[in-house]
Amino acid sequence: MSTLSALARLRALREGRAQRLATVRHCHLSDRPMVLIPLRLAGEAAAPLAAMAGTDPDHPRLLVVPQPRDRDLRFAFTAELAEVVLPYVEGLQKATETVERRGAEPYERCVDAPQLLVPNPAGVTFVQLLGRSTRFRRAEGPYAVHPSVPVLGRWLTFFGRRAQYPGSVLLAAATDLLSLHWATGQSALEDANLASLLGWIDPPPGMSGASAAREAEDPLVWPPAGPATDPGFDAEVLAPAIRAYQEAPGERAAAAVAAAVRSQLEPTWRLMWRAVDLLRALPPGGGAAARWEGDRTAFTAFAAQLAEGAPPQPRRDGAVAAAARLARMERARAVYDAQRAFDDPLVMAGHRLAGEAFTGTVVAAEPDRTEGEGRGRKLRPLLVVRTGDPVRLAAGARLATPARRGQRADVVDVAGGEVTLKIVKGMGRGTTATPGAVPQVGEVVCYAALTDEYQPPAALPAPEETPWTHGGPPPEYVPAEDDAEEDWS
Amino acid sequence: MDRLDRLRGPEPPRPHDARAIAALAANPGCARRAVLDAAGVDKDAVATHLGFPAPFGRSPFAITRGDAFEALVKEGGGAELLRLLRELLGLPLPLAGYTDLADVGGNPSAHLRHSHTRRLIDRAARDAGEAATLYDHPLLRLEIAGYHSYLEPDVVAFQLGGRFHIVEIKSFAVVDGQAEPDKVAAAARQAAVYVLALSTLLAELGHDPSRVSHEIVLVCPENFANRPAATLVDVRRELAVLRRQLARMTRVGAIVEPLPDTLTFDLGRDDGGVPRRPVAELRSAVREVGARYAPDCLNTCDLCFFCREEAAEAGATDLLGRQVRDELGGVATVAEALALADGSLAPDDDRAEIARLLRLADRLYAEVS
Amino acid sequence: MLEISGTGGNHWYAPGVSETLDALEARISALRGEIRRAVRARDGALARELRAELRGAERAWDRAVAGPEAADPAAGTTERAGEPASLLPVREQVHQALTLIGAPAAARMIVAVHAALHAGSLGGGRLASLRRDEERSFRGAPYARPYYLCAALTDRLSASRGLFAVSTWPLERRVVGPLSPRVDFLTTAVRVAEHVLRLAEAGEPAAPGAERLLARLARNVPGATGGPGRPGVPAAPDPRTVVKAAHAELRVHAAADAAARADIAGRARARLGDAERLFGGLPLGLAEASC
Ligand code: SF4
Repeated sequence: MSTLSALARLRALREGRAQRLATVRHCHLSDRPMVLIPLRLAGEAAAPLAAMAGTDPDHPRLLVVPQPRDRDLRFAFTAELAEVVLPYVEGLQKATETVERRGAEPYERCVDAPQLLVPNPAGVTFVQLLGRSTRFRRAEGPYAVHPSVPVLGRWLTFFGRRAQYPGSVLLAAATDLLSLHWATGQSALEDANLASLLGWIDPPPGMSGASAAREAEDPLVWPPAGPATDPGFDAEVLAPAIRAYQEAPGERAAAAVAAAVRSQLEPTWRLMWRAVDLLRALPPGGGAAARWEGDRTAFTAFAAQLAEGAPPQPRRDGAVAAAARLARMERARAVYDAQRAFDDPLVMAGHRLAGEAFTGTVVAAEPDRTEGEGRGRKLRPLLVVRTGDPVRLAAGARLATPARRGQRADVVDVAGGEVTLKIVKGMGRGTTATPGAVPQVGEVVCYAALTDEYQPPAALPAPEETPWTHGGPPPEYVPAEDDAEEDWS
Repeated sequence: MDRLDRLRGPEPPRPHDARAIAALAANPGCARRAVLDAAGVDKDAVATHLGFPAPFGRSPFAITRGDAFEALVKEGGGAELLRLLRELLGLPLPLAGYTDLADVGGNPSAHLRHSHTRRLIDRAARDAGEAATLYDHPLLRLEIAGYHSYLEPDVVAFQLGGRFHIVEIKSFAVVDGQAEPDKVAAAARQAAVYVLALSTLLAELGHDPSRVSHEIVLVCPENFANRPAATLVDVRRELAVLRRQLARMTRVGAIVEPLPDTLTFDLGRDDGGVPRRPVAELRSAVREVGARYAPDCLNTCDLCFFCREEAAEAGATDLLGRQVRDELGGVATVAEALALADGSLAPDDDRAEIARLLRLADRLYAEVS
Repeated sequence: MLEISGTGGNHWYAPGVSETLDALEARISALRGEIRRAVRARDGALARELRAELRGAERAWDRAVAGPEAADPAAGTTERAGEPASLLPVREQVHQALTLIGAPAAARMIVAVHAALHAGSLGGGRLASLRRDEERSFRGAPYARPYYLCAALTDRLSASRGLFAVSTWPLERRVVGPLSPRVDFLTTAVRVAEHVLRLAEAGEPAAPGAERLLARLARNVPGATGGPGRPGVPAAPDPRTVVKAAHAELRVHAAADAAARADIAGRARARLGDAERLFGGLPLGLAEASC
C-alpha cells in the first residue's frame, strides 16, 4: 500500500467508481483461458460439490457431485474434471519453438501455455488441495480410480505451486488480477468478493460503484464466488436436495442438485468472463510477455517430466528444496516489482512517493569522466538530476532506469533537491561513452532502486548434503502403497 | 451494575460462549462494542432490528461435520483421544479415566452443573489417580464485566503429572502438517478462553492456577481421512490478549459514566417477543456510544453493517482499512484527505508532512494516468 | 454424476412439458429467495408458510419432470435398494448387538456392531425413543418380558446419557465408574475380535462391516495392530493380537475399575427401587452429590 494507492481509493470513493492503478496490463492474458469455478461442501477440507469450467463463455460445463460425502462420486467428479482440464492442457503441448541460448544447448518450448482462472485466492488454495487429494491415487489396486485422476492431480499440484510464484499467471485468481489494476472505494478485505470488486470497476449503467458493490454482497443476488457456498443456500436449498438424492438416488434427484448448484455458479461464471474482458481491454505491458515466457518454460518442463514418468510431487519439500524455492521466489518478486515499475509510470509513481525512485531534469553531466589510472582507468560518467520528488536513497544505492534498461548507476550524493549519480554500467566500453548512453543536460530522466537483473541463485547445499539441523538428506521419494489408498472421507 | 442492566433493558444478559469471548478481543478500541458486550446486549438482535442483520451464518453441513468428528474422537470412552495423548504426550497406560461432567441426569441449571464441575476438578487436583484423567464437557465460567458467563462446554480437560491441559476438537483438516492459519488462530483464541476459565477455577479452589498448561492439544482430522491427529499449540499470546481485554471491560464504567442516564438498548419486545421499539430511536441510542469501525469488524462483530454504513455516511477513512488509514497518517475523513491532496485545504503543522505527500501523489496521479 | 452443458438449456427433461417446468422453476427459485429473506429477517412464521408453498411447487416439479408414468404415488416409494430389511424388531436387533458387545454401549457403537453382524443397517434414529418405550413397558408390567433394554448408571445413580444396557446383566456390568468407559471399550474390542475369529474358524465369511469395525477398534488398542498403523488405511489386524493386546490393558485397569463399580452398584442397591435401578434414579440434587 503506497500513498498513491491510498489516494486512488479515496478518489474512487469520491467518484463512486474504481480508479486505475496501472496504465498497462501487468499480466499475460491467454487468448483462450480456462475459467474454473470450484465449489466445496462446507465443513470439509476438499470435498468437491460442483465446478463450472470451460474455455467458451457460452458453453460452460457443469460438474456436480450429488452426494459430496460419497467417495465414489467424488472420484467420478475428478475423472470428469480431468476430461475437461487434461485435453486443454495437453492440446497446448503440441506446438513448440526452439529457444537458442548463449553457451548452452538450445531447447524446445511450447509456444503457448494453459491459463486457469479461478475467482479468488481461496479458489487457488482449493485447486492445490484437489491436486493433493488426487495425485497419489492409482488406476489399479484396491482403491482404483480412473487413470486420468492422478494425472489431473499432478497438473493441479503443478498449477497450485506455480501460482505462488510472483508474476506467474498459469493459475490466477480474478480478484488478484483486477486488484492489481484498479483501486476501489472499499477495503482490501471487501475486494476479495469478486462481485463487489467488479461492482466498483464496472457498475451497471446508472448505478454508482458503491451501491453496486453493496448489492453484490447480498448472497441472494450474487451468490458467493466459491469455494465456500452461502450458508443460507446450504440450509434451504442444497441440504434438502442432497437428502432427496440420498433417499432416492437417480437422475431426477441428481438433476435437482445440479439445478441448485447451477443457480449458485452461473452468476459467477458471467462475472469471470466480464473480468477477462476488462483485463483484455488494457494494453499489455512489456514485462508480462517476458514473465509468460517463464511460465511457458515451466509448463514445458513439467509436461516433459510427466511424460518421462516422474513420480507424483512429494507431500512436502525437503529442507534444501524448500529453501531453494523460497530464494527463487524472492528473486522473482524483485524482478516482478521492477518490471512493473519500468513498464508503467503509474506504478513507478508509487515508488517515487516512497522515495525509492525519482524523476527529474538533468542539470549537469560529465559523460566522459573516468576514474583510476593506467590500465585500471574506467569510464564513470557523472550526472546531476534536479527533482521535486522526496528522494530517500543513501549514497551507494544501485539504481536502474526504464529508458535505458541495461544501465546501472550508483548514488553519490543527495542534497537540496539534487541527486548526483555515477553511471557504472551500460554507458559504453573504453573511455568514451557511447553516444546517447549518458543523458544530456535538460533531459527528463527517471532512476529507481529496482532491478530486474538476473541474480545468481544463493549457494545452497545439494539436497544430499542437507545439514542434519534441517532434517538431513531427504529420503528419496518412493511412492508408497498407502499413498494411493489414503482415505478420502 | 444496574447501570448496565438499564442499558440492556428487561432481557436477561446474553450468555457469552467461548467463540464470543474470543471475539471480544477483536476490536479492543471500540467503545460501542465494549459497552454492548459488557451489558450483555444481544447485538445480533439489535443489528437485525436496525435493518442491518449480521452476515454470519454456519452451514448445516459444517455443523453436522463438526459434531460427527467430535463424536468420533470421544467415542468409546475417548478411545481415539487416549491414543493421541499416549502418542503425543506419553500418557501412561493406567491413566485412562474418563468422566463426562455433563452426564448428570435430568437437566439441571448451568449453576448446578458448574458446581459439579468444580467439585470434581477439585478432587482431581488433590488426587491425580488413574481415575482422574479425562474430563469431558467441564462447565466453566468467566467473569465478564461483573457478570458470570458460563461457557458452552465443548472441550475436554485432562490431567497429566499434576498439570491440566485443554483439548480443543476442531473439524478443519490438517493436510501434510499444515492447516489454514486463520482457523488455527481462531481455535487458539477459543482454547485460551478455556485455559483462563480453568485456571481461574483452580485459583478459586485454592490450587496453583499455573497448573493449567498454556499448551493446548488441538485435535483435527488429518489429511483427507477422518482420522484424528493431535498437535500442541502454545496459547500464551492469546491468553495475554484475552486477559487484557477482560480487564478493560471491567473498566467499562469510565465509558458508561458520561452517557445519558436514560440511555437504553432495549428492543421493547412485546409479549410475542417481537421488537417494537421505533428503529430511529434505537439508532440514536446506539449512536450515543462511539464506534471505531474497521473492515475486520465484517468478520467479528454483529453490528458491522450498521457501523460500516455509519462510517460511510461520515465519509470516514476507516472504511478503506487500517493500511490506508496508516498511509494517510490518520487523516480521519475522505473529504479532508482529498482537500489536502488538491491543496484546497491548508494543513496544520501536524499534517504538513502527509499533506505534502498527498499533494505530490495527486500531482503524480494527474501527470501519469 | 452429471454433466450439463450450456447455461440456458434445461435439456435434461423431455421437451413438451418444459413450459410448465420453466414456470415452476421460476416459482421455486422465487420462493426460495423469499424464504431466505424471511429466515434472515427472523420471521419464522412467514418462512414456514413459504416453505409449505415451496414443497408444493417442488412436488409439482417432480411430477412434471418425471412425466405421466410416475404420477402414481405408489410407484415412487423409496425402499432402498440392496438392503434386506430385517424381520426382527429393532429391540431384538439392539439386544443382539449388545449381547455381542457385552458392555453398555452408545447408539453409534450399536449401529456399527449391528452392521458387522448383518449386512443390513440399523438406522441410528430408530434407537432414539427405545429406552423410553422400554421404561414405560416395564413400569406398566414389571418383568413381563424376558429382558429390557435399559440404562447404564452413572456415579450419581442417574441414567447415563446415550448408553444402552441389558436388564439381565449384573448391576456391576451396568454401572459406569471413571475407568469403565475404557474397560468397556476394550471389552468391545475383545468381543468383536472373538466374533471375527469364530466366523473365520467356522469358515464363514465375515460381514464386510466386521473387519472394518475391528480395524477401527484395534487402532486404539495399544499393540493391537502390530506396529504403527499406516496413515489413513484401515489395516486388517489379526484378531488374536487384538484380543491379547486388549486383555493386557484390561489387566492394568481391572482392580481400580472393579472397586469403583462395586461402590456404585452397592449404593444403587441400597437406594434405588427396581425401576430406578434399571432406568436410572431421579437426578439427585447436585448439592448433595455422592462424592
Ligand atoms: S462493528 Fe461497530 S460495534 Fe462492532 S466492533 Fe466494529 S465498530 Fe465496534
